[in-house]
Amino acid sequence: MPPLELDSILEGRRSQPHQLIEVLQDVQEKYGYIPEEAMRVISKDLGVPLIDVYSAAVFYKAFTMKPRGKNVVTMCLGTACHVRGAKLLLNQATGQLGIESGETTEDGLFTVEHVNCLGACALGPVVTENGSYHHHMTPGKLRKLIDSLGREKTEDASHA
Amino acid sequence: MIPCLFQDCLAKGCFLNGHINLSIDGKTVICPPGASVLEAAEENGIKIPTLCHHSGLEPFGACRLCLVEDENTGRLMASCVTPAAPDMAVLTASPRVIKHRRNIVRLMMAEHPESCIVCSKGNRCQLRRIAAQLGIGETGLYPMPNYKAYEQANPFMVRDLSKCVLCGKCIRADHELVVAGAIDYSHRGFESRPATVHELPLELSSCTFCGTCLSMCPTGALAPKNNMFVGTPDREIPTVCGFCGVGCSLSMGVFSDTVVEVNPSRGKNTVNGSTLCVRGHFAHDFLNVSQRLTRPLIRRDGQMSPASWDEALDTAATRFLAVQKESGPSSVAFLGSSKCTNEENYLFQKIARVLLKTNSVDNGGYLSGRSALAPLYKRTNGGDRVRSLAGLEKAEAIVVIGADVTETLPVVSYGLKRAAQKGTPLIVIDPRQTGLSAHASMRLPLKPQTDLELINGLSALLVRKKAQNAIFTDHFTKGFEAFKEALLKLDLEKTGRVTGVTPEALDEAAEYLRGKSVAFVVGGGVLEQRYAALTLDALFNLCLMTGSLGHAGAGLYVLAQENNQAGAWDMGTVPDALPGRQPLNDSLAREKFERAWQASISPDRGLDLIRMIEEAEKGNLKALYVMGENPLRALPQPDRVKRALEKLDFIVVQDILKTETTEIADVVLPGAAFSEKGGSFTNLEGRIQFFNPAVPPPGEAKPDWEILDLLARKMGSPRRFGSLERLRGEIAGLVPMYAGINEGSGAVWVVEASDKELFKNEGGARVSFAPVSSIEEEGQSDSYPLTVILGSVRFHLGSGTRTGYSGRVREFHQNGAVELSPQDWTAFGLQAGDSVKLTSAHGSVVRETAKNSALTQGLVFVPEAVHNNDARNLIGLFPLGQPDSPGWKTCPVRLEKL
Ligand code: SF4
Ligand code: SF4
Ligand code: SF4
Ligand code: FES
Ligand code: FES
Repeated sequence: MPPLELDSILEGRRSQPHQLIEVLQDVQEKYGYIPEEAMRVISKDLGVPLIDVYSAAVFYKAFTMKPRGKNVVTMCLGTACHVRGAKLLLNQATGQLGIESGETTEDGLFTVEHVNCLGACALGPVVTENGSYHHHMTPGKLRKLIDSLGREKTEDASHA
Repeated sequence: MIPCLFQDCLAKGCFLNGHINLSIDGKTVICPPGASVLEAAEENGIKIPTLCHHSGLEPFGACRLCLVEDENTGRLMASCVTPAAPDMAVLTASPRVIKHRRNIVRLMMAEHPESCIVCSKGNRCQLRRIAAQLGIGETGLYPMPNYKAYEQANPFMVRDLSKCVLCGKCIRADHELVVAGAIDYSHRGFESRPATVHELPLELSSCTFCGTCLSMCPTGALAPKNNMFVGTPDREIPTVCGFCGVGCSLSMGVFSDTVVEVNPSRGKNTVNGSTLCVRGHFAHDFLNVSQRLTRPLIRRDGQMSPASWDEALDTAATRFLAVQKESGPSSVAFLGSSKCTNEENYLFQKIARVLLKTNSVDNGGYLSGRSALAPLYKRTNGGDRVRSLAGLEKAEAIVVIGADVTETLPVVSYGLKRAAQKGTPLIVIDPRQTGLSAHASMRLPLKPQTDLELINGLSALLVRKKAQNAIFTDHFTKGFEAFKEALLKLDLEKTGRVTGVTPEALDEAAEYLRGKSVAFVVGGGVLEQRYAALTLDALFNLCLMTGSLGHAGAGLYVLAQENNQAGAWDMGTVPDALPGRQPLNDSLAREKFERAWQASISPDRGLDLIRMIEEAEKGNLKALYVMGENPLRALPQPDRVKRALEKLDFIVVQDILKTETTEIADVVLPGAAFSEKGGSFTNLEGRIQFFNPAVPPPGEAKPDWEILDLLARKMGSPRRFGSLERLRGEIAGLVPMYAGINEGSGAVWVVEASDKELFKNEGGARVSFAPVSSIEEEGQSDSYPLTVILGSVRFHLGSGTRTGYSGRVREFHQNGAVELSPQDWTAFGLQAGDSVKLTSAHGSVVRETAKNSALTQGLVFVPEAVHNNDARNLIGLFPLGQPDSPGWKTCPVRLEKL
């Protein structure tokens, strides 16, 4: 991991405990997760006990404690999506990638997650891939999506 | 609040205090504004079941069990978080309320595991009790056991979170009361649980194992780890903690004459409230170890063999009298105990003074710097004895100096952290980073033993800022002008050089204190150091100058390490004062005791603890009686002490445990621990706390006062006291300070009496400023280039004799690693796991090492009490409290990597 650089995020927010969530959001955005060391720095610089930083970080689904893959595939398992077969989608993704929900593939390409309702029930079952929504998903469409994402990244790597 | 003048105005609405009246279960009740419905009900004897409510914590409203109904509106509400309002008609047990309450409990039980029957919370589980009261056996619901973390790797507590009902009491105790920040809610929904950061085991979190959360947990989710006992104690007996000078109120859980559990007492206005520390909560398991002394022993042909009480006491009495007759009173000495009761210490010194005609009496309080405190006591002439710890939370500003309170007196640290949390400025003066540092407004990391210079520097800055309290100095003190002049002459550049604290930092500190009345918390770092007495004088000057005296939350909070350190001094187990701290050379005081005791008392001071050892070395001291102390482990240079005491003709040791000192005794008398006898202890606040036995002493052991009473008779005393009441009667009559000791139950306060105006209502003398003294920069010798700082760890008390026997403390293995700065760590080429040898002019220790990134280069921290307290090898057996003695807190050493 590159050395942590939080100065730009903490600038102007030091000693202001109420900035905790905003700071965590920025760290999540910058690193893709909340590194352990970052929590310690935030705790010290904002003046929030470490346990409170941790407690906030694990409460919100928007924050993750582990580095996530290049591609984050998120299944909605909310009620509407569930009755339309979201479970099959989750099985497809976890089976295809050989990981459980919440885990990241060893090559760091994929993370599979699930949430409860994305607020687009009429379009269910819904899957998001790196933030973009895919509606009326089927296991077949999902397989192709994952395949193509995997290829893209490998090509990226071979060009580099 | 103004006392109510008329009761009948309440019917029409109280206009004086805003009292509220409402009806609860048809009864009209009155409560102060802001009270919750629950409080109003409880005040009036109406019981409402609760799980998440605790009077010591902020209201939370998590469990909803305290549900009540307002008949007027039909609303259901959680009574613990609903303020009482006029004209409410509350029903606490209407059919509707009961129905809902039952459903809440049913849901909780559906999630609960089936291990209820063997739960160690047993019959004290609040959830089980409430379920039983509501008649819930079968829930009739689909069980959804919630398998969560089960943790028991540490020796103190078991966390079985499958039994957690998420009441949040543990979390709130951890944040609001002990301010440890070890646990908080983690995750949410069905997943949520109280957890540490990254859900690591407690020992890897900031948990101090105070157990406060455990005593509050309403279910079996948090329970003490108890290897020898499962179940519910037969009875709970209130008592006082036997370890440190805070004197926490405890409740001892007893099962068939064995203490199996300890919790904070539920008494009101106790010093500790609902908190305890790891020692009080868990280390009392030492009471039941096999190394307890259970029968008298006499050395015969070099071997210790059992004897009858009669024989042992006869031997002790005759030998002591014979030595005294042959070699004079100066050949015998008595070492009393800062851990024994007031009554025992009184009797102890009386035996020495009356029956053996010697003033060579001391107690373990010497080890914690009593000699440095004596001059300060004289300055106020006894007017400044009582200082309640509760006041700390009302302080305008707090300075903690030389006190590692999170380790030594944890319950004091809770108050300090709570004050800091509320925004009280907290300045920590210590060469090392301590557990308080993170809570401090600022830290002044000074060079060891330069506190005197720093305090004078602070005083000088405040004078320059004209921040003295002129009204106070004009009214109560004398010599302020001269003091001010002396301060103005101080060279603050030099202060900076000597202390290593920058002028800017000192100025910032002065700004924090400016115009405030300040509470100073003073610990062993000052009391056991070279300039102890001068530093205390300087601190007291600062108090006088800032008017930080005479009200709550101000003045010197001098910490006492041992539970009855203050009481032992009060009772006269000291070489230069009679009971009541009345000086030996005060002929009026002496005559009073001579009359009462019908004996003549020598006006000459006797030997103190250090002189006892020196005189034994020289062969002048021939017989020593030791009660409840372990000098062979607690004093510096233990080997030298052992050689000295082995020279004695006769040594009697009265103790509860097998110790290094009982090993060399000629007669061993088995005494009783505080839980096995009645008595009183005086804590650091000046609170005299009484207790009764919780269990009988083991085997043939006897309460120490009874042993002394029998011994006195054998030494020729005309009659026995025979009861604690008669002993207390005599003390109350002779010691005005302890006039309240006849009370015999609960707690009373030391009576302050002084001729100083400051401490009286009117008239009287003024308190004078002590001269300003200054110290010079000290060089480091080439042969000993590093400086060791000795310090405590919270799992042990003092030299660790008793805590070292605690099975749980032993299991929580501590390697006692010495800590080095990163610079020194690198310079010595150390790797994790390396051991080093530290050598001073007096001895050496071998320990593992650890890198402490907060430590200043050149300093080495050595934890005491562990490894049979071998840290004492490093320091010299010099008297404490005298400026020409180097003190016991630091010493120069050299380091070799092994
Ligand atoms: S562990 Fe006990 S005290 Fe803590 S939330 Fe659970 S039930 Fe309440
Ligand atoms: S034992 Fe004390 S420090 Fe540890 S979690 Fe409980 S309350 Fe906090
Ligand atoms: S050791 Fe001190 S702080 Fe701890 S419980 Fe006992 S009296 Fe309280
Ligand atoms: S349930 Fe999937 S979007 Fe609402
Ligand atoms: S006791 Fe009132 S909500 Fe828990």
